[in-house]
Amino acid sequence: MHGWTGKILRVDLTSGKAWREDIPLELLHAYLGGRGLGVRLIRDYFMFDPFAPEMPLIFAVGPLCGTAAPTAARLTVVSRSPLTGTIYDCSAGGMFAWRLKAAGVDALFVTGRSARPVVLAINGEQAELLPALELWGKGVHDTVSALAGEGSVACIGPAGENGVLYANIMMGEGNSVGRGGLGAVMGGKGLKAVVVNGEGTTAVADRERFDHARQDVMRLFRASPVIFGELGISEYGTPALVDLMRQRRMAPTENFRKTVFPDSGNYSGPAIRKACGAKKDGCFGCPIQCKKSTPQGEPLPEYETVSHFGALNGIASLSAIVRANSLCNELGLDTISAAATLAAWGEAKGRFPAPDEVAPLLVEIAQRRGEGELLSLGSRRVAEALGKPGLSMSVKSLELPAYDPRGAYGMALAYCTSNRGGCHLRAYPISHEILRKPVPTDRFSFSGKARIIKIAEDTNAAVDSLVACKFSFFGATIEEYAELLSAASGMEYSPQSLKEIGERIYATERFYNCANGFTSADDLLPERFYEEPGSSGEGIDIPPIDRQRFNEELQKYYRIRGLTAEGTFADQGFLTRQP
Amino acid sequence: MRDQISKYTHKLISDRSALAGGIAFAAQDDTLITGGNADLALLAEEIISGLNCLGLVFARPSLPFADLLVRRAPAGEHSIVPRDTETRTFLHDIPFLRSFELGDDPARRIAQLLGNRKGVIVEGIGIVASGAVTIEQAYINYSSVFHSTFVKYLQDVLNEGFLLPGEEDLFSSFRSEWLRHLSAEGLVFRTGPLTLPEEIIREVETVGRYTVERGLVDSFFGNISARAGDMIYISQTAASLDELAGCIDPVPMDNSTTTGITASSELLAHRRIYEESGAAVILHGHPKFAVVMSMLCEEKDCPIRDCWKDCPKVRFLGDTPVVAGEIGAGGLAKRVPPVIGGPGKAVVYGHGVFTIGRKGFEEAFRALVEVENWCRDEYFRLLA
Ligand code: SF4
Repeated sequence: MHGWTGKILRVDLTSGKAWREDIPLELLHAYLGGRGLGVRLIRDYFMFDPFAPEMPLIFAVGPLCGTAAPTAARLTVVSRSPLTGTIYDCSAGGMFAWRLKAAGVDALFVTGRSARPVVLAINGEQAELLPALELWGKGVHDTVSALAGEGSVACIGPAGENGVLYANIMMGEGNSVGRGGLGAVMGGKGLKAVVVNGEGTTAVADRERFDHARQDVMRLFRASPVIFGELGISEYGTPALVDLMRQRRMAPTENFRKTVFPDSGNYSGPAIRKACGAKKDGCFGCPIQCKKSTPQGEPLPEYETVSHFGALNGIASLSAIVRANSLCNELGLDTISAAATLAAWGEAKGRFPAPDEVAPLLVEIAQRRGEGELLSLGSRRVAEALGKPGLSMSVKSLELPAYDPRGAYGMALAYCTSNRGGCHLRAYPISHEILRKPVPTDRFSFSGKARIIKIAEDTNAAVDSLVACKFSFFGATIEEYAELLSAASGMEYSPQSLKEIGERIYATERFYNCANGFTSADDLLPERFYEEPGSSGEGIDIPPIDRQRFNEELQKYYRIRGLTAEGTFADQGFLTRQP
Repeated sequence: MRDQISKYTHKLISDRSALAGGIAFAAQDDTLITGGNADLALLAEEIISGLNCLGLVFARPSLPFADLLVRRAPAGEHSIVPRDTETRTFLHDIPFLRSFELGDDPARRIAQLLGNRKGVIVEGIGIVASGAVTIEQAYINYSSVFHSTFVKYLQDVLNEGFLLPGEEDLFSSFRSEWLRHLSAEGLVFRTGPLTLPEEIIREVETVGRYTVERGLVDSFFGNISARAGDMIYISQTAASLDELAGCIDPVPMDNSTTTGITASSELLAHRRIYEESGAAVILHGHPKFAVVMSMLCEEKDCPIRDCWKDCPKVRFLGDTPVVAGEIGAGGLAKRVPPVIGGPGKAVVYGHGVFTIGRKGFEEAFRALVEVENWCRDEYFRLLA
């Protein structure tokens, strides 16, 4: 078989059994892998509570993983989020994905709950559950070190063990499966870590065609100012965006009360490079290497993290921000949600945390003690508990990242239509509204955005199923990746057919959410954005979002997707007609 | 959307890449809208209905080159491979459909091909191009196909001569009727050195517009910058050179901020040119004859295969040096700066022309015109 392995490894933690099964080829062809495959495999389970033993935690790689396709050593983890209640997926790069594929599987499907903490060890065809009592309670670094000799590690820290609703699964090389709290799902199962090793290789059907497509991709990377430009992410990492968001006056500041933070220059890309001696780092096999680390190899924070621990909490100290980032990585906490929850809490209490208060609070959150007990539930629950629900800057309980929606109207819409809650990556309109890729669009206009968002959501659902990194698409397009996939798999895919697959995946996710009670009432921004302006100045006006225009565009979006005016499915038989 | 359709219809007419009356657009918002030539609009509507994209243009090119390339192509071929670097990088190849391949359901056939690529040539009908995100993107893709077929046809004719009946006549009417004299006459430039940011930005906007109006860039690709002290003011990536207002990034020479992440992909080349040549301004466009002539090489038995990126030589077109190098982070930024200082101009293999002005844009603009005119004359001299 080319591209895929055709196998799934099922593990039932309750009984302690692990076994392999075939995945029907039609499913692989129709859902590719990664997010799409995970979304398909969860079809019989999506209504379970995220913490129910029956709820699967699915690690799925894609048909390009194991090949030399740029940025494709990635996987997606799929389950239901305890933070948002939505279907949830998150993609992460690294050696773990590569080795999982090399162990001969397209997906690892974990269900059940172990009575005692365990580690799942996969070595080629072998899979066994090992007792992990001595690892329970340990931080990510120690856990990874203890297991590194056995292969690549995906593990949880104390946050996941203790059920923090935005706990991450951390990958050994510093990548994370972030945002929706899948670390807590893993912790609820008593699964401390998965360690994987394998020797298999991924067969490519047409090597010459593949190499040609790969060269096309690399040429586009080199032509992209955002990727390999001298001010781009390869040089400075995503903090390259700090100065740009400041200049566009859309950097969320003090829990989104303002959109300019005067001290953001302290943690800009060049400032981090200078202060921390940042060197290039990144996912295994990726030519872009957008991540940055200290000379000692300690991962440095990304854009969202510096901006949210910085501007959003009114913190100007780079060292406090770097410390918060390292601590989140060690505890297995999502940095965006952690910082945004602190900001909502800070505004509700009338005082944002001081730089030296952040680290102790993060520890309390991970351990769910003191103030951390409440903070571990995320900003929506915190704001509600404090009687100020309007202060949670989230959509579907997922904290918004560091692009103020008043500064990019496509982003505003996309936060709301995202199936996993307020996330920037589903449609990534920042790409055209701010970074001018593939072509610029007017960031202060809703015109055409419903269609653009829909197309991008479909495209990105396919990208997350290949699995490739979104950053590739600052240069390449789905066209070159369709070519890579066709060459690797020996099946013909086109940009159009990939978008159709993406559309199926997107609709399926939305269907699950609707079946779990989500409607258009959940597709709204926090009130603040419709009522309060951002920080206008320097010739740029940041008014509140026009609610009526927003709603019109949302209704357009529903019509384009064939949904009802409530954003739901008129056709309850939708799922049964999907492969 | 209607305003966008009308805007890009006018652009296709004013840049003379499509025939007035032979242009149609289709766009999907929550409803599908079309505009322009009724027959083409009907086809465009059917095609876009089968695609997951926002905009589509279907137009009859103002020159017969795309069709002639299809007719010259050997029977088994189904696509044209552009040779210029820009389109090679972004389009890879351009599929075509011969008239007899259209069958009963041409829209479906075309949609199938367009589902794979950004633009397609349909023999006897025209060029069709899609835009995933905007109508402008469809226009850009159309322009790229037009540019690419122009360059390839001229190159093929030079290499292989005329092969089809009537071809030579079509070519001579292109020469006598379509081509216009290029000049900088009548344009007003500010005399440098320019120092005030507002003054620089206004001049960059004006000169950007000149390059489009005088046909020195294909559609609007290219970039332009001016330096004042520690700052470079450079056009943004994917910016229309004729609409630069609000699309000029101030970038410090020392990279102390990254706001210029949206600047042209040639920022590095511009910066190095400033560092090495002492230039005050830089212009970069893709005038077609310079692109064609830059790829003409007499070298025998040269071991290099990817000339456009690997050629290590400095060749000459008249007194203008020609170097190779990929765009962006490829080799162009290394190879242009060392050769441009003396002559004030340089051509990049298969790509375009860089020119500099030591004080203001007049020198750079005149040099751009001069290089293209020289290449045009030389092309016709060789063809004769
Ligand atoms: S671009 Fe960055 S995040 Fe994406 S694969 Fe490469 S290193 Fe990983």
